[in-house]
Amino acid sequence: MIDLRSLDELLRAQEGDAGCDAGVPIMDQYVEIELRGEDPSERFPGTAIHLRVCPGCRADHDGVLEAARRFGDLDPD
Amino acid sequence: MTVIEIGGDATRRLTAAGRLRATSVYDQPVSVEPSPAAATTRPSVLSDPTSRRWVEQLRPGHARREQAVARLHDALRRAALHELHRRRGQLPALAGTELDDVAQQCADDAIVSILGRIDDFQGLSRFTTWAYKFAIFEVSSKLARHAWQRNPPSHEELELGELPDSLATQPAEQTERREQLTVLREAIEANLTPRQREVFVAIALNDVPIDVLALQLGSNRNAIYKNLFDARRKLRESMAAAGHAVTREGAEE
Repeated sequence: MIDLRSLDELLRAQEGDAGCDAGVPIMDQYVEIELRGEDPSERFPGTAIHLRVCPGCRADHDGVLEAARRFGDLDPD
Repeated sequence: MTVIEIGGDATRRLTAAGRLRATSVYDQPVSVEPSPAAATTRPSVLSDPTSRRWVEQLRPGHARREQAVARLHDALRRAALHELHRRRGQLPALAGTELDDVAQQCADDAIVSILGRIDDFQGLSRFTTWAYKFAIFEVSSKLARHAWQRNPPSHEELELGELPDSLATQPAEQTERREQLTVLREAIEANLTPRQREVFVAIALNDVPIDVLALQLGSNRNAIYKNLFDARRKLRESMAAAGHAVTREGAEE
């Protein structure tokens, strides 16, 4: 066995990865769990795995989290 | 699925997923995440008075609809602009009034999508968080399109060339590493489908953003990711079969 971190990163394919589309409908719930200080991987384990691997989805997640944190308290009136 | 007709790029991604899953194996998620309704044990927070007021006021016929739409649009535009600044490293050429214009477009498309899907909001998050999701996906989609139009992947980025410097041989482990890279290269050439090879080379070896590659190949993020995931799994298996198993947490057990 050879431990090569760079090669491991290059070939990262983890069982349980939910893929990109699975996170789209639940991203708002996912970040609100985080904002409550809870662990979203308990409810959405596949997306938690995916977000560690997919830079595109990670960027979207970070953007929604940032927007919810920064601009979330807004009333329509 | 009327949203496809009235929404922006991100809305098409949101709504097209279900339709495409029925027709193409590449649009299947890598695994199945619980549906939002099934996944939550918390009660709906439509009882959240602020979220409830947003939904009520945004519905057609409400006396305050125009003001609520304007207020939400302004919030979406500010969130989109903030996100564009946060991601400006992806597209340095985009600046100044151009950023403002893109933020405005994101807010325009996002609010059309939101109004078209207002009855889909289940109250599983705050309304504003649900709404900002649309704006952020629009930013992601529009940035990718700008990047693709200004700097599409080159032929070299899609073809297998030299393996990257990060994998380069160190003197102390020269022989072993050289063997390993030979196995990897052979597996890339022999064991991947042409599409898997193209996707792996572009994203994993040449850092082409996944959304830019999806546009280049006329595909979508999830389908490209599935190609990448399958390619990585095949290569990992090939390495192990050749006696060069790669250790670590990313490995499939």
